[in-house]
Amino acid sequence: MANNVSDLALDGNTAVRLLQDLFVADITLAQIRCEACNAVQGVGSLATYGTPMGAVLRCSCCANILIRAAQTPRGLWLEMTGARCLKFQSLHASFKLGASGLKIC
Amino acid sequence: MTVTDASSPSKRLEWQLAEVRDVVIETYRVKSLLLLATGWPGHLPGQHIDVRLTAQNGYQAQRSYSIASPPEDDLLSLTVERVDDGEVSPYLVDELRVGDRLELRGPIGGYFVWTAEKSGPLWLIAGGSGITPLMAMLRHRDRLPSRIPALLIYSSRSLEDIIYRDELDAMVGRDANLRVVPALTRQQPKAWTGHRGRIDRATLAAHCFPPAQRPAIYVCGPTTFVESISSLLVELGYDPFSIKTERFGPSGG
Amino acid sequence: MEESPISRGFRPKRQEQTPTDRVPPGQYVTTDFPVLSAGPTPHIKVTDWTFALQLGGSLLGKWSWAQFEALPQTTIKTDIHCVTKWSKLDTTWQGVTFDDLLKEVGLSEAPAPFIMAHCDGAYTTNVPVADLVGGRGMVVTRYEGLPIAPAHGGPARLLVPHLYFWKSGKWVRRIRFMQKDERGFWESLGYHNYGDPWKQQRYDGD
Repeated sequence: MANNVSDLALDGNTAVRLLQDLFVADITLAQIRCEACNAVQGVGSLATYGTPMGAVLRCSCCANILIRAAQTPRGLWLEMTGARCLKFQSLHASFKLGASGLKIC
Repeated sequence: MTVTDASSPSKRLEWQLAEVRDVVIETYRVKSLLLLATGWPGHLPGQHIDVRLTAQNGYQAQRSYSIASPPEDDLLSLTVERVDDGEVSPYLVDELRVGDRLELRGPIGGYFVWTAEKSGPLWLIAGGSGITPLMAMLRHRDRLPSRIPALLIYSSRSLEDIIYRDELDAMVGRDANLRVVPALTRQQPKAWTGHRGRIDRATLAAHCFPPAQRPAIYVCGPTTFVESISSLLVELGYDPFSIKTERFGPSGG
Repeated sequence: MEESPISRGFRPKRQEQTPTDRVPPGQYVTTDFPVLSAGPTPHIKVTDWTFALQLGGSLLGKWSWAQFEALPQTTIKTDIHCVTKWSKLDTTWQGVTFDDLLKEVGLSEAPAPFIMAHCDGAYTTNVPVADLVGGRGMVVTRYEGLPIAPAHGGPARLLVPHLYFWKSGKWVRRIRFMQKDERGFWESLGYHNYGDPWKQQRYDGD
């Protein structure tokens, strides 16, 4: 069951809303590089899996998991180990992601 | 109504109440709801809103719907297809009346958006109710003084399932720069000379803007439709970054 | 926070059930079979399919589809409970019990207290062995008498119906024994490590 990144998942928490609260810029406009195959894709074009338990964004080329996120009563979990970097259009920097996952509450 | 810049969504969107001003029957299972949302900040063609319903016992259900109206219109238009066994769409299509209020928030989405500033001809490919956000784009284009070349390929199950049929006919009638190619996948009238069956590679090759013209491409519809069309477009030589997709998944209803 | 106004005439489709001895708290009963996957549905040819039990670096056993089908078969009728709140009663499954898998590889008991189930699409889920033995866990290949559809985990999935259904990993390929518990896909993303529906153990800390 794949939905567009901008589509509804569970209780209004779409993949976009899960991620958007953490980023200043529009996450759907960012480009993302897969750490497994190096392909670059627009985040907005990615299929979203895992709803309604959470959001799983996979590389369209090699199906590697780029981003996983889940909203729980105790906080928002976000893991981005499958992404080498994100590039945001409206900011003049790229973010490099470390090897370990992040927990953001 | 002004067109706003949707590239910085850092502000948290607030829920607001809109009033149903009109209900338009589009097909036997599709209606457009025309809503007055005072204080609406404006939107870009292709964006959507969240709608939230609250039952007597406090239970809430929420769904996203593309805005079908262009930014120029005073009323927001949502075109809703009744999903069998759905929870929200049967309410919106069968129950909601003029005068009722609807909670919504938006506009949402900076990715699947088209404005005249974007260069290149406009190529829209719709599957079923995926026509909705693309119609906002066409209606916006229709208000512009210049006639940007545009092509809509629109796949529907049958003639009766084509949403906005009269309006699209009228647009084509007055605009030499707009082509609309309907495809009927399940049932066709006897005298039908249009495309029969699903849109395939040959259909896209026959009705397109060549890659050299760098069209802005928008594909919207069910997930399988969107993914198959996107792959075909890439095979035909279009830059994947020029293809914007919006999947209408089964999570709504 | 301001209260939302009531939407005139709107009735929820699903009613939460009063917990009974069959429906855990917070669940509603469905006659559908919703599909939830962390990735696209793989379409696996049984001729390419293998299933293995693993301990450390070594394989305790490995079966082709034909070999797996030849193992002792067990059919059960049970209820299943998804963390997304739907429960489905009286579902019938057929496959091989975890006990029979251990017997097949010549073990009278499991070589370690925990397992990680490895599934197609890089999906994993961890389960204590105590929750698999004694008929509590199976690797199933039939649902309602027919081969399990790909969207529901076919050709074979894990079945641990007394825990939330994310533990019944679809497209299972390998069960790896672990001396120490490790968290799987959802368990490492804020979901409960164990997942008992009767205690509403949906999220970590519940």
